[in-house]
Amino acid sequence: MPFESAWRLKEEMISGDLDPVEHAAHVLERIRRWEGSVHAYLSLRREDEILGDTGRAVERLRSGKARPLEGLLVAVKDNIMTLDLPTTAASKMLKGFKPGYEATVVERLRAAGAIITGKTNMDEFAMGSTTELSAYGPTRNPVDLERVPGGSSGGSAAVLAYGGADLALGSDTGGSIRLPASFTGTVGLKPTYGAVSRYGLIPYANSLEQIGPMGRSVRDVALLFSVIAGWDPRDATTLRRTGWVDPENLAPLDPHSLRICTPEELLEGTDASVAKRFDSLLGELEESGAVVEEVRIPVLREALPAYYTIAMAEAASNLARYDGSLYPCRPSTRPRSWEELVERTRTECFGSEVKRRILMGVYVLSEGYRDQFYLAATRIRRLIRNAMMAATRRCIVASPTGPVPAPRLGERIGDPLKLYALDVQTVTANLAGIPSLSQPMGRVMGLPVGVQWMGPSMGEETLLRLGLLVEEVLGYGRG
Amino acid sequence: MVGVKIGLEIHVQLTEAGSKLFCGCRSNYRGLPPNTNVCPVCLGLPGALPVPQPGPVEAAIAASMALGCRLPWAIVFTRKHYFYPDLPKNYQITEYEGAHGAPVCLGAVFHYLDPGSWEWRSVRIRRINLEEDPGRSQYGDGGIMASPVVMVDYNRSGVPLLEVVTEPDLRGPRDARSMVEYLLLTLEYIGATNPRLEGAFRVDANVSVGGGERVEIKNIGSTLEVERALRYEILRQTKIIEAGGKVERETRHWDSTRGVTRPLRHKEAEEEYLYFPDPDLPPLPITGKLKERARSRITLLPGEVYKTITGHGVGREVAWSITQHPPLARLYLTASEHVADKKTLARLLGVDLKGALKDLGRTPSEPETLPPPETVITLVKLVEEGELPYDAVRGLVLPKLAQNPKTPIESLIPEKAKVTDSLIEAVLMEERKALCDLLRGKKKALNYLVGAVIRRVGKAAVDPRAIRGMIEKKAREIERLCLEAESS
Repeated sequence: MPFESAWRLKEEMISGDLDPVEHAAHVLERIRRWEGSVHAYLSLRREDEILGDTGRAVERLRSGKARPLEGLLVAVKDNIMTLDLPTTAASKMLKGFKPGYEATVVERLRAAGAIITGKTNMDEFAMGSTTELSAYGPTRNPVDLERVPGGSSGGSAAVLAYGGADLALGSDTGGSIRLPASFTGTVGLKPTYGAVSRYGLIPYANSLEQIGPMGRSVRDVALLFSVIAGWDPRDATTLRRTGWVDPENLAPLDPHSLRICTPEELLEGTDASVAKRFDSLLGELEESGAVVEEVRIPVLREALPAYYTIAMAEAASNLARYDGSLYPCRPSTRPRSWEELVERTRTECFGSEVKRRILMGVYVLSEGYRDQFYLAATRIRRLIRNAMMAATRRCIVASPTGPVPAPRLGERIGDPLKLYALDVQTVTANLAGIPSLSQPMGRVMGLPVGVQWMGPSMGEETLLRLGLLVEEVLGYGRG
Repeated sequence: MVGVKIGLEIHVQLTEAGSKLFCGCRSNYRGLPPNTNVCPVCLGLPGALPVPQPGPVEAAIAASMALGCRLPWAIVFTRKHYFYPDLPKNYQITEYEGAHGAPVCLGAVFHYLDPGSWEWRSVRIRRINLEEDPGRSQYGDGGIMASPVVMVDYNRSGVPLLEVVTEPDLRGPRDARSMVEYLLLTLEYIGATNPRLEGAFRVDANVSVGGGERVEIKNIGSTLEVERALRYEILRQTKIIEAGGKVERETRHWDSTRGVTRPLRHKEAEEEYLYFPDPDLPPLPITGKLKERARSRITLLPGEVYKTITGHGVGREVAWSITQHPPLARLYLTASEHVADKKTLARLLGVDLKGALKDLGRTPSEPETLPPPETVITLVKLVEEGELPYDAVRGLVLPKLAQNPKTPIESLIPEKAKVTDSLIEAVLMEERKALCDLLRGKKKALNYLVGAVIRRVGKAAVDPRAIRGMIEKKAREIERLCLEAESS
């Protein structure tokens, strides 16, 4: 990693070795240097505001009243509501949208002393896997500017990769945190469904998505997760559980107690080079004492179609509200009736991928098709959930995070099926509601690739401890 | 009207549930300026999440129990999609049987009293859905299809609503009206709704005549209108049939100003609501605890009240008159434990107090219009003991009580204290001549003495007959005064 982890920064700030204001100035300078070519932020707070906040953090750090994220700079994906900055989900439909309420996770960030830098680019309404489908233009991968950073949380991942923030929030509906982590060489966690409040997250597919932490090290992710996780009375789907992880006292997993399963269904379609890198990582873990076992979970072959069916159904429903009345985007010419307003607003203000998913979502929910598509998908989902619950009771389920390293811009978005296929390994965790961690496992053709670990429901601590072990084995990310 | 079949769909707001269904905004929005009873949740803003609120959920389960329903294992919410200006999410969170959903009532046989025939009747309830009310929209010229402006007030958006759907068991307009009235009364008894609030309920009716097609009538806003709309529609259908025509299956609108039903201008498209369970709302199991809390809301039901009152020997009309107003019924039940003469109590409350309130444009359905039980008990006891004639209570006390139910009992009946034995004695001592005339058998003297007593106490609540009796009695007691006077 070219930049220090947030955990190291935090320690240096507490010890007094690092001046938070000086650090913030560095970060702001990197933003100025990189944003022109990467375009990871959709909106940024004013520099003097950020520096002002950092100044106040100095006082708390000096007086020993530092909160868990005191003085750290955090970027927030643009589908998470913030009071001060617009929240657009990278859609023209919500251009400049500031509804005056804040996501629970953002409230928790602020309460923990975090300083928010800005809102990060994404695929429109989180529908995409490359961050090319933003209405405000694509984000490029700082590792290689000709390539995509992955999506949909590509802006958050890119910001971490070029040092434009210390930590970032993403959201993961079918891999939207993990795929960008894989493509940019960063770490991302898709939490157990219900671990993190979705209050204030612009919904794409409510039953699948979670807000999650992104960082440059496993401990960074643990730190941010410990702040945002927990029951929220404003989200009826959050779990009533406290004490998810303690980042302070998180030790690497003992490899001798580690059992890894690799379902062959999750390796099908993976590039040989990526598969090779994955195998050699597993080999190294085996050498340290872990047990690695190839398994078969045939129902996982149905995961991708089941995932897209459910996601599109929920999307069609969630996006019905954008009808030109309560939201900023209006048709270019004055409509003659309410019906025309709705029609024209939706035609003009949604991007084509969003419209595609709405149409398909309506189709799979329609009378006469619901049984065949939507209800069938929910049945497959139940089977997958059962299979993954059973598998993760006895082992950590592993696969490469994505089938390929970061594609070039334009390479995948021309064909929806090729685009959707990028999610083939990640959607399983969302369908099953189980946690999944993606972390770098090395490079392929000079590009970072990630490995993803899936654990039992509420098994975040185990995954994060495994992540620390892998960092040790691979010899980076310490600190 | 042979072979009339009527089924109803009754939407009742849970105005008394306290909050909206999924947020803390108020369930009763009346009197608030437009768009002031709103928050991100009931405006349906993206990212704001619905959270079932205890008040509406308990009220809905209580309603389901009070109507005799089979309860599902959980409260399950489903999304029903349709585009409409006053529906902020363009889907309504409701309940649905199918697609993994369930209504809050899985079916019931509901018994209601028909006060026309004094018969108990029954209607099958097919289901009850708990759902959110949309906002309210207002259009300019051309209505929804052509108006250049739509104004929407979201104060109502998210208010909890019960949609009660009956089987086509009702036999006539009067029957339908009685059923709706009794249903609303039941929901009022359990503190779920106040049916007198503007817009608190709406009724759609399905009606067919002689086995023909059914016609749906929408937008009926009061129980009287239910009867009127159905009378009109049955007549309309009967005429078509008598003329040899066939009734078409359609949806019509009730125009209450003109008193006619009219076909809806545009045909509704094939219904396609894209039902699926709301992923933001996990099923809420109806646990024993939840049932207990719901049951604790059902302290009294109209059937019990009516049967108790008639069981006291009170006539059906008066009993029903009391039953129709929950606070009045509660007052009756409390007071009846302390008085022997229940008929007088019932008449006092159900006929004369109610009448006195009505004269002032008030209703005994509002608890603050009613006197405390102690006042009522005292009044009935005074009547029972012959201390106060009932006519005086009706003519003099009740109008005052209707004006101010908190009036202390002493200032209601000052006259009672003054017409005492000693007062009579004092008057007789003063009017010695008249007393002696009376004892000599002069009838006129008695009238004069009664007048003298009344002059003393003012012409308030006195019963001349009673005074007459008291004077005659006292006169005999002090007869010797006259004898002494004569002998001397």
